[in-house]
Amino acid sequence: MKLRRLFGSMVLLLLCVITVRAQEKTITGTVTDQNGLPLPGVNIVVVGTNTGTQTDFDGNYSIKASVGQFLLYSYIGQRDERRTVGSNSIIDVDMSEDAEALDEVVVVGYGGQEERKIIQNVGIVKEEAIENLQVVSADQLLQGQTAGTQIVNASGVLGSAAVIRIRGVNSINSGSQPLIVIDGVPITDNINTFNSGGNTGINPLSYVNPNDIATLTILKDAGATSIYGARGANGVILITTKKGKRNSRTTVTFDMNTQFSESTDAPDILTADEFRSFKAEVASIQQGTTVTPESLGLGSIGSGGTDWLGGVQRTGISQNYNLGVRGGSEKTSFFFGLDYQDLEGFVIGNNLERAGARLNLDTNVNDWLKVGMNLGVTNTRLNRISVENSINAPFTTAFLQSPIVSAFDDEGNFAQSGSFIPNIFARVALDTRELKTFRVIGNVFTEVSFLPGFTWRSEFGIDRLESDEFIRNAEFNTPGGSASSLKATDERWLTNQILTYSDQYGDSHNLTVLLGLNYEESLQARLNIQGTGFLSDDLRNLGSSSTPTINEGFRNPTRYYGLFSRVTYDYQGKYLVEGSVRRDGSSRFGANNRFGYFWSGAVGWTLSEEPFVKNLDFFDFLSLRASLGTVGNDRLGTFPSLGLFSAGAIADYNGESGVIPAQPENPDIKWEESETLDIGLKSTFLNGRISFNTSYFKKKTSDLLLNQVLPPLTGFSAISRNIGVMENTGWEFELNTINVRTTDFQWNTSINLTTIDNKVLQLNEDAATDAQGRRIIDGAIQRAIEGESLNNFFLIRYQGVNPQTGDAEWLDINGNPTTNPGTGDRVVTGSPLPDFSGGMTNTFKYKNFDLSVLMNYSYGNDVVIDGLRFADGNDALGGIVNIRRQNLNFWRQPGDQAFLPSPTSSTFNLFNQRSTVQQLDASYLRVKNVTLGYNMPKAILDKLGNTLTGLRFYATAINLFTLKADEMDGIDPEVTDDIDPLFQGESFFTAPQAKSYLIGARLQF
Amino acid sequence: MKKINKSIGILLLAMLMVSCENRLEVIPEDNVASNTVFNSFATINGAVVGTYSKNQSGDLNGMAQLISEFMSDNVNFVGSFPSLQEIDQYQTLATNTSIDNVWIDGYELIGAANNVIVNLPEVTDVSNLTEENKRVFVAEMKFLRALTYFQLVNLFAQPFQFSGGTNFGVPIITQPFGGGDISEFQLERSTVNEVHSFIEQDLLEAIADLPEDNGVRAEAGSARALLARLYLYREQWQNAADYANQIISSGEYSLAADYDFYDANSTSSEHVFVVVNTPTDGPQEANGSDETYTNFFNPAPGGRGDAPFTQDLIDEFANEPGDRRFDELSQAASDAGGNNTFFTTKYPDITNNASDGMVLRVTEMLLIRAEANLRGGLSIGGTPLDDINLLRTRAGLTTLVSVDLDDILLERRKELCFEGHRRMDLLRNNLNLRPGGGSESAPGANKVIFPIVDDEITNNPNITQNPGNF
Repeated sequence: MKLRRLFGSMVLLLLCVITVRAQEKTITGTVTDQNGLPLPGVNIVVVGTNTGTQTDFDGNYSIKASVGQFLLYSYIGQRDERRTVGSNSIIDVDMSEDAEALDEVVVVGYGGQEERKIIQNVGIVKEEAIENLQVVSADQLLQGQTAGTQIVNASGVLGSAAVIRIRGVNSINSGSQPLIVIDGVPITDNINTFNSGGNTGINPLSYVNPNDIATLTILKDAGATSIYGARGANGVILITTKKGKRNSRTTVTFDMNTQFSESTDAPDILTADEFRSFKAEVASIQQGTTVTPESLGLGSIGSGGTDWLGGVQRTGISQNYNLGVRGGSEKTSFFFGLDYQDLEGFVIGNNLERAGARLNLDTNVNDWLKVGMNLGVTNTRLNRISVENSINAPFTTAFLQSPIVSAFDDEGNFAQSGSFIPNIFARVALDTRELKTFRVIGNVFTEVSFLPGFTWRSEFGIDRLESDEFIRNAEFNTPGGSASSLKATDERWLTNQILTYSDQYGDSHNLTVLLGLNYEESLQARLNIQGTGFLSDDLRNLGSSSTPTINEGFRNPTRYYGLFSRVTYDYQGKYLVEGSVRRDGSSRFGANNRFGYFWSGAVGWTLSEEPFVKNLDFFDFLSLRASLGTVGNDRLGTFPSLGLFSAGAIADYNGESGVIPAQPENPDIKWEESETLDIGLKSTFLNGRISFNTSYFKKKTSDLLLNQVLPPLTGFSAISRNIGVMENTGWEFELNTINVRTTDFQWNTSINLTTIDNKVLQLNEDAATDAQGRRIIDGAIQRAIEGESLNNFFLIRYQGVNPQTGDAEWLDINGNPTTNPGTGDRVVTGSPLPDFSGGMTNTFKYKNFDLSVLMNYSYGNDVVIDGLRFADGNDALGGIVNIRRQNLNFWRQPGDQAFLPSPTSSTFNLFNQRSTVQQLDASYLRVKNVTLGYNMPKAILDKLGNTLTGLRFYATAINLFTLKADEMDGIDPEVTDDIDPLFQGESFFTAPQAKSYLIGARLQF
Repeated sequence: MKKINKSIGILLLAMLMVSCENRLEVIPEDNVASNTVFNSFATINGAVVGTYSKNQSGDLNGMAQLISEFMSDNVNFVGSFPSLQEIDQYQTLATNTSIDNVWIDGYELIGAANNVIVNLPEVTDVSNLTEENKRVFVAEMKFLRALTYFQLVNLFAQPFQFSGGTNFGVPIITQPFGGGDISEFQLERSTVNEVHSFIEQDLLEAIADLPEDNGVRAEAGSARALLARLYLYREQWQNAADYANQIISSGEYSLAADYDFYDANSTSSEHVFVVVNTPTDGPQEANGSDETYTNFFNPAPGGRGDAPFTQDLIDEFANEPGDRRFDELSQAASDAGGNNTFFTTKYPDITNNASDGMVLRVTEMLLIRAEANLRGGLSIGGTPLDDINLLRTRAGLTTLVSVDLDDILLERRKELCFEGHRRMDLLRNNLNLRPGGGSESAPGANKVIFPIVDDEITNNPNITQNPGNF
């Protein structure tokens, strides 16, 4: 009886619960922060369901839930709150700042760590910092965001690479680009396969959809990078793509925008008639008699011409569409992304189409096994143009082409230019140059938890890039026509086996031990076929050519094998130590040095956990850390150690195969090694309103691979040896402030600043020496000097035109004016390295509006625009090329403050020789990205029906405004045409950055 | 289950660690390691072929000829390369990249030749390799080495006439570089006489070992012809006439009836040694040989239009109308500066950049014999008048009744223009390089020759620079 009654009441109770459950009701409320201010954008989900919402700008929310269900309130930087739905329909929540806000787990090398406990020096770009940034390419997400990272977009040409430097240049000849790792897969960034004028190649990050990226971590000090061993010396960028969250509602985000691009700036060059008058006036003065343009063969004034520079530019209109679906159940979470871009560059003939898809999925099979995969696929089609210093580069050719040359004949057909500088309009219009790429980057993993605290993660990854460039030159431009097909495959597969043990002893001792193995094989293969002799332009394909002219290819395999370990220990999160070691072997290293050992040690002290700091009641967080360790650079080429003979086209003769000496033997060759000391301070105070981080580093790189230039009498130009020593020291500062925080208005500022001082400590013993006996590496424009910086512009000093004599004057080596300088008069005249550089972001939020202004800057660096040797003066290329407008100001009579010397001066044709005339001040402050957004209030969205949970309209301006020196008029300060460290800051006529305006909308439901 | 997993895991890991270590030894697929080159007949022959391929380098056969032509009075250089403009204006600096490449490629070829000359005689036990093969291969390399030294000494040193050959020539390297000590390659320049006698010795040894007919590769006649040129430049008239005569009377070579030997006709009886460029042999480097010839000597489109005839050369041809060497070997077109002028058609294959380089042809032997006989008061093999008339007849001109040195030099100019002879012909005859030219283009002037290149000066403390402000 008793039992039955009990049973009965239980059934009743159950029924009650069921009925109660079924009673769904609307809960409303306000969420506020620790200061009582409304908190917009708080995520609220009904636990265990797909129901979720966000608070509106006033912190209000409304959600349907049933009594007994749990509501989870989460917001970045705030502690999660849980509430049970009871009888009350109003649930107000006071969220409190998460004292452990820094508990967010940050991705580091082969693992993750709580942010507050990281004693490595890492730059972190979080999702919220980049989610509203509209960029074309992922590297732009890094621009100006964190200290110590410098990104120079090589040009505004679509698909061209950015020069990415972490803490400056750490190598002379072996490449200074950082290692980029996407979801655990190091991606290949071979650039030389597809150079197209200039030495910058294709952007390795153009294959990643920036909208798929969740966070970026930049590993800077040895404490962070030594676990990447022989590949960590240039820093490492870890890119983590978006993942779903367990137990979250599925959200769909759809973003679309339209972009209008034009060039930031272009030089002012002469029109056809100005050109005619200039040439005639100069000739008249030189010959002492009136010379007409006609007699110079330039045609009469008013007889027409072509605005080449105007003609190669356009307003590019681009479309971006992006879809992201994100969600997760109790055991599985996923992210699915899809994007399509149709970009039109501001230079004619330059278009890029990209379609990409991504699927990231992971699931708990049971309580000890988790499996998952991250897979991104990208397909691009790029209509390429030459970037720089090539007769096929629209910008270069448009500057140089004489304005009197007609682009079209009387019937409106393309006209031949008559000189080696082609009719660029015809080249672009008639020739085809298409690069198609297909890239897969992804991995699969299993994670086994087999004993308490132990995890074994096993990853297999792949990066495969297939590039296929097809070039077809038309009869008009290339008699007989020509075609080429260049196929390159960069593939890499790898496995990581990582065993992690993590445990807490008592309350105070936290220990994590990581042991790992990494094996990789990569193959860079290339096949290039060219043919000539086409009957008609309509015969498009290579197979229709009569004569195969080039048949060339290579296969460069590399294998790589590393064992590594990291031990992290902390006592109460107060005293932290970490050490890591890696043993790396590579097929690239010489037989005598096949394996290298790399190590690091770091210590940290969280002062804010100490009573004497706590008692100050000032700091929210304060820590000091220091690290010391070694890392390597393995970018040595594929077989740098073997004595080699080359075969193929370079060694054949009259149809017979041959071999020819290519490289002397060098079995000792090994990685370059950097030893880095890094000391840092992290702090947050005034209730989180201000945080300030700073670090100092000293990075000494030795065994630098130097091309010991051989006396040409050896029959070889150089041999690579591990000889050089270089040091980079610097300071990094980051300051984040919340300037205003009221109900309606919030203003945040973050500023970062980096200084890097580069010094070459040792060059090879038999290096060339300068007059003072210092060893040097000499180039036509730059010179690396032992004891000084790697990069010094080394030029003849130009003084200007003497107003009295009309002669151009330079300074000789002793500083005396001369009108006939020689190479012996070159001195250090400037540096392409900035004194300091960095970025600043201001974000403003007013009600539903937000505005972010991202700026980057660089101070104290110079550029040498080598193309000015042609675009200034009268005689370049036999005087057939166009020139800048300031050349009209030539010296005519005593007292003239002229740009050009007198036409009768002996210096008139010497004026444009290499000197500081071409060296310009490249300091700048650029408003890189301005985005104004409006988020539709929830109230309106509700009226629109329940489908939309978010609607955002935005407008972005990229490269809106640039503050720069007057002499940079018409020239973009942010240019470089070479990723080679020895040539940085040099440009010929690189196309400037694009200035773009973009409007778009983002829908979420 | 977990235990099994664990043991499998550990086993797999252990296996992986062992196998990975062994996989780091990777063999190149696109190159031959240097220690295997002398292991087979095919690769030994390949090392010889590779040296011929090096001789195709645009800087040795292309650029050097172009420069010689525009430094003198045959070509009006209107191109844009600053390094070439510098040379054109006799303002060449040691840092000039164009001459740097000539120097570097020259010694690369010499290094490749030395590799065979020094190492091949020691090679034994290679199947199919006979002692005869070895001698011929070495002799071919000596010919190419001599050709290259001669090219270098003509460009980088004052000619024999300057001081009887006692002035600095170029360094003589006889060993290949193996990657070790460089001090043996930091040599001072030998005198012009020493370089000439080294070339003479190489050629005499080559003549002894080379077959009379060796296809397009060097044969005994090639070495004799080059020797004839060397003796001409040294004003050893007897020897010059004698060796030239050996070629003319050999039966191996004869004056071509027509001017159809300029391209894709390497088997023409006209050729004593020709650099064969084919469409498929690709650019040898940034400025492949064929590209240099076709690019510079042809107008746009296709060529750059940088190197048209000078007015002076046009006038010379105009003085005697109907010269087939002008009518058939030139085309009217506008140059890179937009001026209407004439271009040579001696390098016609602009589509494939595959025009052959003229090195030694029987015509030059006739001219050498004529000049040497005239100046030496000799009559070896024929009279200067007959030799010159032979060429004039082929050119469709009337025969002369007498010739003097000017006639021979003019005929030489018209016959060999655009083939790289003119600069030396003027200098060795003490004539100014430019019509009405000043002191800067006069024989013996500092910049009618090249400076020793900067790369050599900075990396070789023992070398002496030429006089002049470099």
